[in-house]
Amino acid sequence: MATNPMHQFNVYRIGPEVKIAGIDISFTNSSLFMLLSAGAICIFLLLGTREKKLIPGKMQLVAEIFYNFIAKMISDTAGSKAKPYFPFIFSLFMFVLFCNMVGMFPYSFTVTSHIIVTLIMAMFIFVAVTVIGFIKHGFKYLKIFVPSGVPVLLLPLITIIEIISYLSRPVSLSVRLFANMMAGHTMLKVFGGFVISLGLLGGWLPLSFSVALTGLEILVAFLQAYVFAILTCIYLNDALNLHH
Amino acid sequence: MKILVLASFFLMIFGKNLLAAEAGMPQLDPEYWASQAFWLILIFTLLYLSISKLFVPKIRNSIDVRNSKIKDDLDEAKNLKDASEKKLKEYENLIESAKREVQKINTDSKEKLNDDIQKKKKLVEKEIDSAAEKAQSEITSLKKNSINDILKISEKMTATVIEEISGDKLNESSIKAAITEISKKKISNYL
Repeated sequence: MATNPMHQFNVYRIGPEVKIAGIDISFTNSSLFMLLSAGAICIFLLLGTREKKLIPGKMQLVAEIFYNFIAKMISDTAGSKAKPYFPFIFSLFMFVLFCNMVGMFPYSFTVTSHIIVTLIMAMFIFVAVTVIGFIKHGFKYLKIFVPSGVPVLLLPLITIIEIISYLSRPVSLSVRLFANMMAGHTMLKVFGGFVISLGLLGGWLPLSFSVALTGLEILVAFLQAYVFAILTCIYLNDALNLHH
Repeated sequence: MKILVLASFFLMIFGKNLLAAEAGMPQLDPEYWASQAFWLILIFTLLYLSISKLFVPKIRNSIDVRNSKIKDDLDEAKNLKDASEKKLKEYENLIESAKREVQKINTDSKEKLNDDIQKKKKLVEKEIDSAAEKAQSEITSLKKNSINDILKISEKMTATVIEEISGDKLNESSIKAAITEISKKKISNYL
């Protein structure tokens, strides 16, 4: 079972079983690594904000780079109206990034490689964006499904496509992150297994692949966090500034 | 298109999730879904609260402080630059007026000096003239006096010479008359 590349995604209970109203909410390894990621973010930000110097130190500079990166991303994609949502986007980006990065450590667990985690985040974003859209624009928000400048003949078809694409947002958002993380870690595990099975003579090639894949996976970890955050910004932009 | 393919793929597996979980996708085993959802919501909420209430204001504050400091410094630099330019202009004006004053003083003092020199020259010339006149008059008086002296001396000399040569003593008045006569005729030869 140890050589099964999917074994790393197993969720198991740590500590006692906790049930509330018949629902099992026990502390698991997934919860542990969520906690670790959140703790790492807090420690990182704590170090970054510990001293407020006019000329920033190393940690302060890194924290401010992250801050400015997200702030620029939001203002570029969603405009100034999205400013109140900055803390949420920032938390989201940091959480996904740190979960992905913590998952890169050997023997660790990748929280974002589970569809339920990414789906909950994506569903929350989807529902929140829809609610914000209706609060800001009322029923005019439904215009988002009716693009302007489309021939009347094509309008029913386009509207149906728009509705489907809108409704598939949470699915695409969650599956993108989950599938990327799962595929990457599975591949790493498969190549790791090849190293063992091919032994001292033939194992060097898959090992070098493994090293290259690790670099790629770190890139993917960052990229997927970025994509997750920027798509959230784009959806938010649709809700805040009705363009269609 | 990609999205739809992914979605259908997901739905396909989702439909037979128990089978998939057995086949080796622990993600599709619903046993711990509630637990994951609960802990995700709890931990992310806590993270969001600490970031939005604690960290973001801190970072924003330090960035704002830096930006306002930079802006203040730039403003101050601009003010100082303006002030220095003003001072420079003032200084240039001062130099300009000082130059003009110097020129004025220069020409004034030149004129004054010229006047002074002219005055002094006139004064000196006057003194020289008067001194020359005085000298001239002295010379003429000396001349006149000297003629009388010469006449007297020559009278005595003549009397003495005649006395020495002839041994006779001539009448003084006759000698005097003779000398006067001769001197009247020939005095111009000696003067």
